[in-house]
Amino acid sequence: RCASWTSEAPVAVGDADQIQFLKHSTRTRATINCNFSEHAPCPMEPHHPRRAPTAAMDPPSPAGARPAMSHSSAFLLPSSATPAASADAYAVVVLNQRLPRFAPLLWDRAQVRVCADGGANRVFDGMPELLPGHARDDVRSRYKPDVIKGDMDSVRPEVKEYYSNLGTKIADQSHDQDTTDLHKCVAFITDNSPGSDKSNLCILVLGALGGRFDHEMGNINVLHLFPNIKIVLLSDDCLIFLLPRTHTHSIHIERSVEGPHCGLIPVGTPSTSTTTTGLRWNLDNTHMSFGGLISTSNIVDEDQVMVTSDSDLIWTISLRH
Amino acid sequence: MPPLPTMTHSSSFLLPSSSPPAPPTGADAENAVSYAVVVLNQRLPRFAPLLWTRARLRVCADGGANRVFDGMPDLLPGEDPDEVRVRYKPDAIEGDMDSVRPEVKEYYSSLGTQIIDDSPDQDTTDLNKCISFITRNPPGPDNSNLFILVLGALGGRFDHEMGNINVLHRFSNTRIILLSDDSSIFLLPKTHSHEIHIERSVEGPHCGLIPMGAPSSSSTTTGLRWNLDNTSMNFGGLLSTSNIVEEEIVTVTSDSDLIWTISLRKHT
Repeated sequence: RCASWTSEAPVAVGDADQIQFLKHSTRTRATINCNFSEHAPCPMEPHHPRRAPTAAMDPPSPAGARPAMSHSSAFLLPSSATPAASADAYAVVVLNQRLPRFAPLLWDRAQVRVCADGGANRVFDGMPELLPGHARDDVRSRYKPDVIKGDMDSVRPEVKEYYSNLGTKIADQSHDQDTTDLHKCVAFITDNSPGSDKSNLCILVLGALGGRFDHEMGNINVLHLFPNIKIVLLSDDCLIFLLPRTHTHSIHIERSVEGPHCGLIPVGTPSTSTTTTGLRWNLDNTHMSFGGLISTSNIVDEDQVMVTSDSDLIWTISLRH
Repeated sequence: MPPLPTMTHSSSFLLPSSSPPAPPTGADAENAVSYAVVVLNQRLPRFAPLLWTRARLRVCADGGANRVFDGMPDLLPGEDPDEVRVRYKPDAIEGDMDSVRPEVKEYYSSLGTQIIDDSPDQDTTDLNKCISFITRNPPGPDNSNLFILVLGALGGRFDHEMGNINVLHRFSNTRIILLSDDSSIFLLPKTHSHEIHIERSVEGPHCGLIPMGAPSSSSTTTGLRWNLDNTSMNFGGLLSTSNIVEEEIVTVTSDSDLIWTISLRKHT
């Protein structure tokens, strides 16, 4: 018995023939019984690392010692449903694709709004279309970006001019060809956000999925390049964000706006061991990789989904129409 | 260590009908490429009629049949919708049948389309089922020169897109190309060195190489604006995106499976 280890979340321990996997309510504290002999390593003890690190990864911290990270899509709830100041502050970034239908909702409650280059065209054209009951000029001046950033080869000159006249900052970075537009916007937001603690920053990105495949992959890479910042990529159909391997994850499901379809994708590197609760088909110390199993077309069965993995994973969930 | 065998790739199937690939004669006929088309449940790309006409086998995955039924007449507005529907009739509709509209299924069934209800099998994706069907029923003499062109696999729900890309990895010996209005993607297995022939009139210039699912310690290319030279790539580090094709042949060698992607020109 690992007397010193308790957890609020059930996890798989050790090898299949030695496991006693205990499922229990995530709301109760419980002690996990390990059916290990004294000679076998207990993965939950801090002095027994859980897995040998793979070549591409840093050695993982022992599973029992990982900090918890929680996630919530409360920002998607309609304005009437959100108690004041309950949702965390966030920034919105708009890339160069058609706006999703909930763009005005997210824009309204954002602390800062950044357009990446041609994303400014999408806001200029798209916001009036999404708010057809209002005068176009009213919509455009109300939905004015704080910054337009990038190399300015896609934004229409008249759109740039229009917003510049209204006070939008134009941050021209045409000289930097090494980073993607989204990367530049995330760097800008982190450089300009108050305080040194970026862990409360949340950046919601519109227009990062679909479209040109290399752009989409470059955008997903930005999630991996900034694992300490909560960046959520949203489309009409779904949202995605990174679950860094350094943490155990607690994903709160807003059933009125998201689900039921979900998935866990080891985009960058195989996962030797992932464990979940709250899904229709939970993973249990399961191996995932391209060429083998990845978790797609899964279903959220509970309001809270827990995920622990030895690899960075991309979480995705469908959005309700 | 012996050099890797070479695999060549060409997007000549995207060339307009006025310049079709030359029909095979004699010995070439045995090596002739044959195409199958799979349509998944998303809006058809604009070149769907062209590819459908080129293909010898056409399979709709469940709701893909709705997309063909609604979308082909839209893409051929000068023609009578009923005639279009009869001409662009799938050979098979495969899947669990929870998305195809009953009247669409009925319509095609009465025209002779095979309906393959796979609802008991929840373990594989719709695309996976269609690929299995096609490889079991190849339109040509065998699978060696079979290219499977998939429409509707990119964009939409992200888990679907990833599941579709995983099919490329799971059927790495089968030529499968995923196409959207914006891009074409296919797998470059690490077992081969690759020669990609660029059809400049229909594709490019934007391209990329993505180590999907596993890092690559060493990739080398020629023919790109920013070539890789024994370069390592991984998520969290460098990926080759927003690259540019500079020559008509791009070569790629890597220690890892890579996904090649190239943009499609708007008038394709």
